[in-house]
Amino acid sequence: MYTSYIGLEVHIHLLTKTKAFCACPAAFGDEPNTHICPVCLGHPGVLPSLNQEALRMGLLVARALDCTIPERTWFERKQYFYPDMPKNYQISQFASPLGSNGGMEISIGGRTKRIRIRECHLEEDAGKMIHAGNVTLLDYNRAGMALLEIVTEPDMETGEEAELFIQQLRRTVRYLGVCDGNMEEGSLRADANVSINLPGAGLGKKVEIKNLNSSRFVRLGLDYEIQRQTELLDEGKTVVQETRLWNENRDQTESMRTKENAHDYRFFPEPDLPVLELRPEYLRSIDTAMVELPFARAQRLKDRYGLTESQADFLCEERALADYFEQAVSEAERRGLERNEGAQRITAWITSDIKRIWNRQGLSLFDLAEFRLTPLRLAELVLLVARGKISGKNAKQVLELVVTEDRDPATIMVERDWEMIIDPAHLRAVVDRVCEQHHGVLQSAQGAAKNGDTKRRASLEAYLVGQAVAHTQGKGEPTTLKRLIEQKVDEA
Amino acid sequence: MSEFSAYFESWESKIGAFIDYHWPSAFQGPSLPGQKGGTTATSSPMEALPFAVKDNIAVQGFGLTCGSALLSQFRPSYTATAVQRLIDAGAVPIGKTNLDEFGMGSSCDTSAIKVTNNPWDLHRVPGGSSGGSAAAVAAGLVPFALGTDTGGSVRQPAMFCGVVGLKPTYGAVSRYGLVAYASSLETIGVLADTVSRARDVFAVIRGPDPMDQTSRSVPPWAPSLTAGDFSSTPRRRIGVLSPEAVERAVAHAVAQSNQTILRSATLEPEVDRAFRRTQDELRALGHELVEVDVPTLRYGVPAYYTIATAEASANLARFDGIRYGRRPEYAENPDDLVTQVRSQGFGPEVQLRILLGTFVLRSGFQDRYYLRAQRIRGAIQRDFERLLGVGPLQDAEAGESGDHRRVDCILMPVFPRRAFGRDEEGLSPFAQKAADLYTCGANLAGLPALALPVGVEEGLPVGVQLVGAAFSEGLLLDLAQEYEAAHPIQRPSLFKSYWG
Repeated sequence: MYTSYIGLEVHIHLLTKTKAFCACPAAFGDEPNTHICPVCLGHPGVLPSLNQEALRMGLLVARALDCTIPERTWFERKQYFYPDMPKNYQISQFASPLGSNGGMEISIGGRTKRIRIRECHLEEDAGKMIHAGNVTLLDYNRAGMALLEIVTEPDMETGEEAELFIQQLRRTVRYLGVCDGNMEEGSLRADANVSINLPGAGLGKKVEIKNLNSSRFVRLGLDYEIQRQTELLDEGKTVVQETRLWNENRDQTESMRTKENAHDYRFFPEPDLPVLELRPEYLRSIDTAMVELPFARAQRLKDRYGLTESQADFLCEERALADYFEQAVSEAERRGLERNEGAQRITAWITSDIKRIWNRQGLSLFDLAEFRLTPLRLAELVLLVARGKISGKNAKQVLELVVTEDRDPATIMVERDWEMIIDPAHLRAVVDRVCEQHHGVLQSAQGAAKNGDTKRRASLEAYLVGQAVAHTQGKGEPTTLKRLIEQKVDEA
Repeated sequence: MSEFSAYFESWESKIGAFIDYHWPSAFQGPSLPGQKGGTTATSSPMEALPFAVKDNIAVQGFGLTCGSALLSQFRPSYTATAVQRLIDAGAVPIGKTNLDEFGMGSSCDTSAIKVTNNPWDLHRVPGGSSGGSAAAVAAGLVPFALGTDTGGSVRQPAMFCGVVGLKPTYGAVSRYGLVAYASSLETIGVLADTVSRARDVFAVIRGPDPMDQTSRSVPPWAPSLTAGDFSSTPRRRIGVLSPEAVERAVAHAVAQSNQTILRSATLEPEVDRAFRRTQDELRALGHELVEVDVPTLRYGVPAYYTIATAEASANLARFDGIRYGRRPEYAENPDDLVTQVRSQGFGPEVQLRILLGTFVLRSGFQDRYYLRAQRIRGAIQRDFERLLGVGPLQDAEAGESGDHRRVDCILMPVFPRRAFGRDEEGLSPFAQKAADLYTCGANLAGLPALALPVGVEEGLPVGVQLVGAAFSEGLLLDLAQEYEAAHPIQRPSLFKSYWG
């Protein structure tokens, strides 16, 4: 067997309003070449101006990834020719990345593994080429958008670990609100390096895999590649150092360029941008914007609310979802519902009926502020059910009506006359009346109880409960009614 | 206007300062001495003044050739900040002036567009790279022009043509709209007929610009730009950089066999004579002159060309024939396309500098070239700082006596020779580079420097330069204006002043 070494290079698009070095809107999906200016087109004579928001967001990620932040940081020119790169150099970072020597925990098979982060640095994106027949068109809307490149050490061993890392990173940047993490649209892009070797023999011949545009493809591509390299070594062959593309239609990697041009990027400090001094007070202002990160939050949710790992993971997938959950539980607790019971009931609602409505409405979990069933309303609904004030069936209808009518659950319940009778005195009177009317049935039940015929007893009791419920036009709380009728039978 | 038009055309047909010009129909014409050009007396000194702009600075409505065949058809979609500030102050850009291709040269002769001649002698070069701007001002076609100075490109042509040339502190004037050659060295500068005009123009164009994050505010302690009463200019302590010491240092630094470099560092007799005379004249005005040395300056030229070409190789990479330049009829592949366009579109000097810059930035060689040049640059900066100080002059230091005391500015030659010709007496491209010795220091250190005409020797103007601490332009201008009042600037024959 071999040891495998996987490292990832992840590019994330920062959600800045404008591009990294000019005032053009940083927006996707508009008409080609509508968000352009002399600066992002690299016209002769223009100069870049750093977007402070991009710096702030980049530093927030660097902090979240536990990186060391330098006291001084600067940009460099990375020089290479490419048709979609207006200046034929990219403003990037080299000697002074925003963050270095960090790490991020992933949870795999119940244990925690730290993946080391080598560095993360800020840079600008290139334009996009659109191949149409025998011409190639260039769209510069994307040119100059702010990117953060995150480079890991080769600390992952399986496709699954890489997939978990990508998912955890995606959650993290979404928690921070700095990236929407959409891999299909390319706002989070991952390239992977993988090599295998005999245990203890160090890194093997490195293969780079591109076109991994979902976390699933990251797993599939790497597992395929590890298998391919294993077979090569088993056959006594060697792995060629190359770049391979993941072909999602064939589920395999394919050679892209075998001759790995050793690019000389001729980095040198960008003279058009001043060196940035990252003063302690500025870094403190970054820290005040830090949020509880998904890994830590899932741990806390398990401990505080008695959730299972999979429940906690589900709720922590999005910050807004975890916030929603915690607000609802705390409101239910404030109104007297025991915390763990509230948490279980609320989790059950979220994972079934509420999730179905979100899916139906196409609501983004990124922003639940629009959702009419606010955490307070959810807490109210859960309390009504827990106290037996509403039937489970009616509660589901109330949920739908809250969403369509934008009103409180209790109001809807009262208005629709769905409130259950739970007053024990009232219900005892009902039971007395029903047992009087159906005295023969009661006696039969009492007889069955004496004879130990539990089956017959249960069936006769059920009949009486049904009669009692009917007597209340279906509003008598059935659990209490059942208990009272059982008492009547036992009284004999 | 018609008399002026004839004057303008007659000069321009001989000197060829402009790549493109057009006088706006609304233009009122020059204001002859004693007459105001149709504007109120209280308006800005810039009001209705025409000016020329070196053709590597963007002005909407004109081309932006940079003296290169590759950009001969390019038209910018925006206007440079410095030009816009002048327009906002009432001045009128009337044309774009010739230059060495992308500012790379000391003669204007590397321009692919046209030849520009020196108004003092049509067989000689106007200097470079801002040669068109200098020639236009020297001939009286415009009262001032913008140039750019990367290693002396405002000051050297100013001296060759006998006009005032101001290279401001790095960061004092926005570079937005200046087509970059060597971003960390170059500034937009002023070529003007008088010191006071240079002052007025600088006052308008300076100041921070959000479009250029290397631009800076004028620090509060900077000497005022407002002209005072020059009869009472304070007695200044002026350091004199001894050319003999520089020559000795250079001789020490280079191989004895390299006669070109040695000759380039040596002042020709006419320049030497004028330099000495100027010292006497400054003493006569009451200033104290002390000899100073900038020991690291001997390494300035190699450091300068290493950094400048490194930056140029990146700055010019965008001119790949895909969006700029004439595409060839046929190209085998993208590499071939780029090769063809750049081989045809760039002149030999530009190709040389791109290749040199690419060479010095290669991975594994940066320590030997680029980083070493940056270390030399740091040493030169420290040498100047030791002499001139940084920031406001401290009282304690001002009171200090002896040779360790700071000087207010440094007097230096601009260029070892007067305007050279295009015959065998001319300077080889290599010798021209070696002769940047006196000018490139201010660029490496980011300091202001002012070239001032100090007379005419054997028919050709000679100038000197004053180099000051960062943001001390006001001090340099005051001193120069005092000198100018005592020794008026001489003009070429047939010169007529239309600009009051």
